[in-house]
Amino acid sequence: MIKRLTRITCRQAHVLLSERMDRPLSPLGRYRLYLHLKACDLCSRVDRQFDLMRRAMRRLGE
Amino acid sequence: MDADLSQSLAELRPALLKIARLQLRNDTWAEDVVSETLIAALEGAGKFAGQSQLKTWVVGILKHKIIDHFRRAAREVSADAQVEAAEVETFDELYLPGGHRIDPPLDWGDPEDALSRTQFFEILQLCVDRLPVNLGRVFMMREWLEFETAQICKELAITSTNCFVMLFRARMRLRECLESNWFGKVQSG
Repeated sequence: MIKRLTRITCRQAHVLLSERMDRPLSPLGRYRLYLHLKACDLCSRVDRQFDLMRRAMRRLGE
Repeated sequence: MDADLSQSLAELRPALLKIARLQLRNDTWAEDVVSETLIAALEGAGKFAGQSQLKTWVVGILKHKIIDHFRRAAREVSADAQVEAAEVETFDELYLPGGHRIDPPLDWGDPEDALSRTQFFEILQLCVDRLPVNLGRVFMMREWLEFETAQICKELAITSTNCFVMLFRARMRLRECLESNWFGKVQSG
């Protein structure tokens, strides 16, 4: 039951990773993402990739 | 000194134009804001104390000029932005029914390595340029001009949901593009 509430797919994790860059997630969203990232190395990669993209974009043109 | 400065500024012009086009997606507007930027830089040369790179300082002015431009004239993009946000295109082709990725994302390695390479930034610009017009605008506003999403929604008159969806799509497309044109290539030699 709890698992069903907290479990998300990689796709949903990517949506939350993106959303997290634009506004604070809800507590449930945060918890779901936390559990997912703990178990999923590939989505943790995407997390780091988004972070790199942001750092690079801020330096664009400089 | 002024001759040197106007020479250095003239040399920056192509790079400034490129980036202004990425944000505005309109050549005339880009020419206008870059001209305004160069004039402001010349007039304000006294304020450039040389503690930062000239280019960094001028890009800062460019950002302000672009923001001014939005204040004056960018209302017309709003209708397009709404249409684009409403398009049904959810990247489902990238995922299996269980929501897992079909092509697992690559390991991009040391971020500092990419960030230290000029060619990486060229590929980045190319990838931003390939984003659909309105996704590109919204993405540049968020990540380059560093607007809050609430400001973007207001400027473009789009709903916040549309804004988050557009930013998600832009990031996923950019991620794919960087992976196929930079990280995939670097990794495989």
